[in-house]
Amino acid sequence: MAAKETVKTICRNARPVMSSDLTEARRRALGLYRAFYRYIPYIIKYFDIPKNEQDCRCKLREYFYKHACVTDVRVIDILVIKGYMELKEVTHLWQQKGHVMSHWNPSAEPKPCDFLGKFLAGMD
Amino acid sequence: MLRQPLTRALALSSPARAAPLAVRRYAEIAPQPDKVEVFIDDKPVYVPPGTTVLQAAAQVGVEIPRFCYHERLAVAGNCRMCLVEVEKSPKPVAACAMPVMKGMRVKTNSDLTRKAREGVMEFLLVNHPLDCPICDQGGECDLQDQSMAFGSDKSRFTDIHFSGKRAVEDKDVGPLIKTIMTRCIHCTRCIRFASEVAGVDDLGTTGRGTDMQVGTYVEKMFLSELSGNIIDLCPVGALTSKPYSFAARPWETRRIDSVDVLDPLGSNIVVSTRTNEVLRILPRTNEEINEEWLSDKSRFACDGLKRQRLVTPLMADSRGNLTPVDWEDAVVAAARALRDCPPDKLLAVAGDMADAESLVALKDLLNRLGSENACTEQYFPLEGAGIDLRSTYLLNTGIANVEDADFVLLIGTNVRFEAPLLNTRIRKAFIHKDTDVALIGPKVDLTYDYVHVGESASIVKDLASGTSAHEVLRKLEQAKRPVVILGADQLKTQEGAALLAYTQELALRLQDKLEDKNWKVLNVLQRTASQVAALDIGYKPGVGALLSAGPQVVYLLGADSGVVTRESLPKDAVVIYQGHHGDAGAAIADVVLPGAAYTEKRATYVNAEGRAQQTLPAVTPPGQAREDWKIIRAISEVVGVRLPYDNLDEVRDRLSQISPALVTYGDVQNNNYFAQARALAQSLQKPVSGNLDVKLKTLEDYFMTDAISRASPTMAKCVQAVLKQKQSTY
Repeated sequence: MAAKETVKTICRNARPVMSSDLTEARRRALGLYRAFYRYIPYIIKYFDIPKNEQDCRCKLREYFYKHACVTDVRVIDILVIKGYMELKEVTHLWQQKGHVMSHWNPSAEPKPCDFLGKFLAGMD
Repeated sequence: MLRQPLTRALALSSPARAAPLAVRRYAEIAPQPDKVEVFIDDKPVYVPPGTTVLQAAAQVGVEIPRFCYHERLAVAGNCRMCLVEVEKSPKPVAACAMPVMKGMRVKTNSDLTRKAREGVMEFLLVNHPLDCPICDQGGECDLQDQSMAFGSDKSRFTDIHFSGKRAVEDKDVGPLIKTIMTRCIHCTRCIRFASEVAGVDDLGTTGRGTDMQVGTYVEKMFLSELSGNIIDLCPVGALTSKPYSFAARPWETRRIDSVDVLDPLGSNIVVSTRTNEVLRILPRTNEEINEEWLSDKSRFACDGLKRQRLVTPLMADSRGNLTPVDWEDAVVAAARALRDCPPDKLLAVAGDMADAESLVALKDLLNRLGSENACTEQYFPLEGAGIDLRSTYLLNTGIANVEDADFVLLIGTNVRFEAPLLNTRIRKAFIHKDTDVALIGPKVDLTYDYVHVGESASIVKDLASGTSAHEVLRKLEQAKRPVVILGADQLKTQEGAALLAYTQELALRLQDKLEDKNWKVLNVLQRTASQVAALDIGYKPGVGALLSAGPQVVYLLGADSGVVTRESLPKDAVVIYQGHHGDAGAAIADVVLPGAAYTEKRATYVNAEGRAQQTLPAVTPPGQAREDWKIIRAISEVVGVRLPYDNLDEVRDRLSQISPALVTYGDVQNNNYFAQARALAQSLQKPVSGNLDVKLKTLEDYFMTDAISRASPTMAKCVQAVLKQKQSTY
């Protein structure tokens, strides 16, 4: 019983990364989203990628929706930090055209999933 | 001729065989004598009198080391490795030859026993070369294993006179077996196998003591279709496989259980592979089929799997030369030909190594295109019961049961080469149980004595009607468990239907009079591994009428026996060949689709007695070759009549819809409706006049009979060696 209590206290008192509660974490995430959103026109301008603003916004939204189910405040904080690092790499042109384009996986070929496609590709 | 008394036969039946025998339950079963109690390491065990100490010990799980003893061969008792201490016996006794006595107390791990084993090991090793690093038996050598387990840690062998160890000249016994006779420990297993099982009394010993040698007396090839088994039997590296020499060590190889398809019996095998190639094939014990033997073709033809293979789809170009193309082009070309062909001008021919999955896929494809012209290369009469009743085309007695027969009548078949392991069963019955054998057909060497009734087919008629004056009729009628085996090759002539009808009449007349109602007399021995499955699925046997109707598109599924030729087809006919070897079929084809051989796919084969078994993939198909049923499935989709199965499980569901027997792996269904088949055949009993002839008469005919063995260099060497041996004076 005593051990259970101890675990509970430790869990409750875990040191926050940045945000103390979910509202604050949400504010930070929205801040990151806005920052990226506002930089999208410059990404297209500086990197000269064959995508328009709409494509980039979709991609941005896709990444945020990917983590939509995360509820742990500390995990959200870490993700936000990583997002700002990514943004910094883009704004400082530390990333290059290929890095940006790789978000769309242009060289990936879809694997055949019908019988005939698999047969001709020699896959079992 | 060597014939053993009945007691030997009882001793021969291994414990594993006890179960099926008990299930069969014959009319007369000898009353079980009272068992005696013996103690093995103070553990009590009850065994029938006459059991040897070694067998009694095996029953309680104590394995006594041995070299010369083999459960399927006569007891020799000359290696002395199985010496054990028996209480109140002054000397240790040889466990393999000593029958148990009441209250006997055997000590298999006492000081005396261990000392005796150590002594034997020391003597053996004094006379055995220390060449394990270059010996092919290394890693699977009984001598190696037992010297580690039971040998001494030191030797008293010192060659102070530098005279060298015992050395013996190597023998030349043909292209399959390599002999390094210095390694021989004189266990005489090979000699006993040759004289008892193979029926070739060529091996023997000369000299005594240190000068004793095992050999063939004069330089001579070991002329047997079972010669490879002495490699497995040899406990040391004296007899090793020539094609496999210096190829691999046993711990480097992967072993995959599979089934042989080069003869109709479906012997169980283990395929030994490394780096995606088949290195050798060994037998796998199956008491119901091959015991633990394997015929030479099944064992050594595996190097044919690497030669003459079709590795890429091919299509005939404008000049008629086959050129490599992509799968897509080949499949589209094949599909276009099939689609544009009127259904009645379409013909599919299944060859001798087609598996059940591809057979059913091809038939389904044809049926969806509106055609019924799916047939096999081997003919079988369709008159009377035809192929509607399974019992008319199967080996109904069962392979294992043949050794319980008391009279065997062979009609137009050389069992020795058509199904070597069935012949060993008949030979076993002949030697151990006084079974008599009679043969109608050309006089051939079956390795045992038989009554040659004649060559004429009319003899079968006389026997069936009971008008024959030959003593064979009387013997057949007196037999309690007669077996009649008819070779399927005889059925392709005009008189085939009548011959089958007479054989049915004869067999059923005998069967009706038997006390044992479960005993089946009628047997038809098919020639190929695919025939039974094809007939089960509903293929028409034989191409005859369909071929002469002038088909426009011919789909050959591994059909290589030369039944379909360019001359027999119209000029503009399109031939699609699907198979694994560039043989007769691929040579006449316009589109070639490379398939997988039996070691490369998971596939179902049904053997001559109707037992479904599956092969497992040991290696991947070479190049762009694909599994056979998938090729047909792919074509079907391009033609526009998609077959409703995408994976193997779904194909097997389809197989079980057609016949549940095709997917009950390892089991034999009980065959019935003999009387109905006989009634339907009554009207076919027309006079027969021809002579029966068999294709495989002598050993050189045996080695190369199908696409795989024709591509095998080892098999070609065997044929040459046999022909050379024929020239020799010995």
